[in-house]
Amino acid sequence: MKRILKWVVLAVVVLAACGFVGYLYFVPPLMSTAPEEFINGEAAMAPPVDRIPDPAVRALAERGRYVLLTTDCTGCHVTPGPQGPLPDMYLAGGRKFVTAAHGTVVSRNLTPDAETGLARRTDDDVKRVLRSGVYPDGRTISHTAMPWAQFSNWSDEDLHAVVVYLRHITPVRHEIPPPASGGSEAIVPNTIEVVYGADAGKR
Amino acid sequence: MPPVPSGLRWIAPCGVALLLVGVAAGIAQSPAGAPPADVKQLYDTSCANCHGTDGRGHGPAADALTPRPRDFTRGTYKFRSTASGSLPSDDDLYRSIAHGLPGTSMLGWKGILDDGQTRALVVYVKQFSPRFATEGATPVTATPALPSSPASIEKGRAAYETLACGACHGDGGAGVDAIAMGLKDDWGNDAHAPNLTEPWSFRGGRTAADIYMRLKSGINGTPMPSFGDTAKDEDLWHVANYVVSLARKPVWEMTADELRSHYARQAEADAASPVQRGRSLVATMACGHCHTPADREGRALPGLEFAGGVKMRLVVWGDVVSANLTSDNETGLGRASDSDIKRAFTHGIKRDGSRMLPFPMGWPAYAHLTPQDQDALVAYLRTLPPVKNQIPPPVRPGVFAYLTSKFQMLIGGKDFPIVIYAGNAGSAGTPGPGQAPARR
Repeated sequence: MKRILKWVVLAVVVLAACGFVGYLYFVPPLMSTAPEEFINGEAAMAPPVDRIPDPAVRALAERGRYVLLTTDCTGCHVTPGPQGPLPDMYLAGGRKFVTAAHGTVVSRNLTPDAETGLARRTDDDVKRVLRSGVYPDGRTISHTAMPWAQFSNWSDEDLHAVVVYLRHITPVRHEIPPPASGGSEAIVPNTIEVVYGADAGKR
Repeated sequence: MPPVPSGLRWIAPCGVALLLVGVAAGIAQSPAGAPPADVKQLYDTSCANCHGTDGRGHGPAADALTPRPRDFTRGTYKFRSTASGSLPSDDDLYRSIAHGLPGTSMLGWKGILDDGQTRALVVYVKQFSPRFATEGATPVTATPALPSSPASIEKGRAAYETLACGACHGDGGAGVDAIAMGLKDDWGNDAHAPNLTEPWSFRGGRTAADIYMRLKSGINGTPMPSFGDTAKDEDLWHVANYVVSLARKPVWEMTADELRSHYARQAEADAASPVQRGRSLVATMACGHCHTPADREGRALPGLEFAGGVKMRLVVWGDVVSANLTSDNETGLGRASDSDIKRAFTHGIKRDGSRMLPFPMGWPAYAHLTPQDQDALVAYLRTLPPVKNQIPPPVRPGVFAYLTSKFQMLIGGKDFPIVIYAGNAGSAGTPGPGQAPARR
């Protein structure tokens, strides 16, 4: 009797283990989360504009928020954490891209932080990056990591609205390392780029 | 002052002498007008990303840009102060480089490059076309400006109608969908007929003198002709004054009420021309960034625009390949219903009911498009010419590989990157340079 019980317990344990492994494999994480949760999370990250006192600036920022929200800027510019993007580091950057043709770049901190963010840049500096892929010092930016070539098709007015909104999001101190040399070929051959999931910035 | 060791006493005078020799040599080597030796390097680092190292206007970043970067090898330049069909003057080229072309990706390099570097680039850019060796630039002489006045503007409005400017620029300069009209430039690209009420995006400048010069010299390589021979010179000034008078307020000068009605009007206009709105959305949302396969440098593979086939390896989840967005019946969206397409890009649910990860496809973001914009996006995708490119289904890693990498990730903290491959993983394969899969 005891012997049978032992076998039954063992069988149950083995079955449970197989079941767990099977669950992990066949129902990967994120797939058990409803699409609406991701969709709502996306909007919840982007600060609303209703605290902007000037109504004209508010209307412009509202347009900028719509453009930013629907362009998936968060896909690269929200700081990555161990469990996915960190909502309280909205557009604070830190994702590392090793590109084949343009070396290693890290997504920039777009928040209006005085020392590490866009507060250091003029409107024209920001627009020049989005329109022409050129930093204030004249260096050109990889269009494979940062799709500035596509964003260059924003009208001048939408471009302006995007910059206005970026000026009104929550500042986050997050230092981003400058671009460096070194291509993706050394990591995986025949790649356009390799995108890392850990925060390469300094808080 | 501490004593200087005797052995070092000669160093300072020697340094000064060397410096003087160096400066003298530098002056001797670069006489006025000749490009400094490093101009090629300057061009390659600053200009080649769009214009290409060979000057053909097809640098790695060129494909998504509207308008396309200038092809220097033809010697056809749009914004000149010279006769129609003629080469530009050095000053014309200098102006384009230093001050940029508003409304395009060509930035003004003044403040980044100094005067000498800009002049050197003018010389360097000219050597791409053999025309500059044999032809000269024929300057156009501008007559004295006629000051703007209600009478002049009224005469300009009449001339705008006589010269049929509205055929491309719309009634009252409000613009038309030039792409829908099928207007092409000499390079075979869609032409742009600017909305004349938005002067901040006039490539050649927004003053009456700038507009007069565009009318007088034409815009080479585009459907915009020169009116220098066909219209009275004074009428060109009147039209210029009229066009200046058409300017509306840009959003950055509007009050809150003006902005509200402006955006409402814009939504109405977008609803009236969904394909045009959809085209602009697809271009700016960077759909082609993942749905047009590219080479290692990020140059789009010819003939595969929006045909999908970009393979991405997400280590623990396996390999996924971007979808074919063209209207091909078997391999693209040809047979997908509008709601199928919308469900895919707003909720990450494919036609077979399976789910997409919330990245790299950013459907959680695209879900926030207004219903009107979602319809516009679908309307535009329907117009993409079909390209046959069968996309392989996602491939999951084996159970063992999955569990090992998962273990390494959760316990070992290993950072598995997303790997984005060059080339096309679809059935059309990766075309070599110059060859494109047949469009059907």
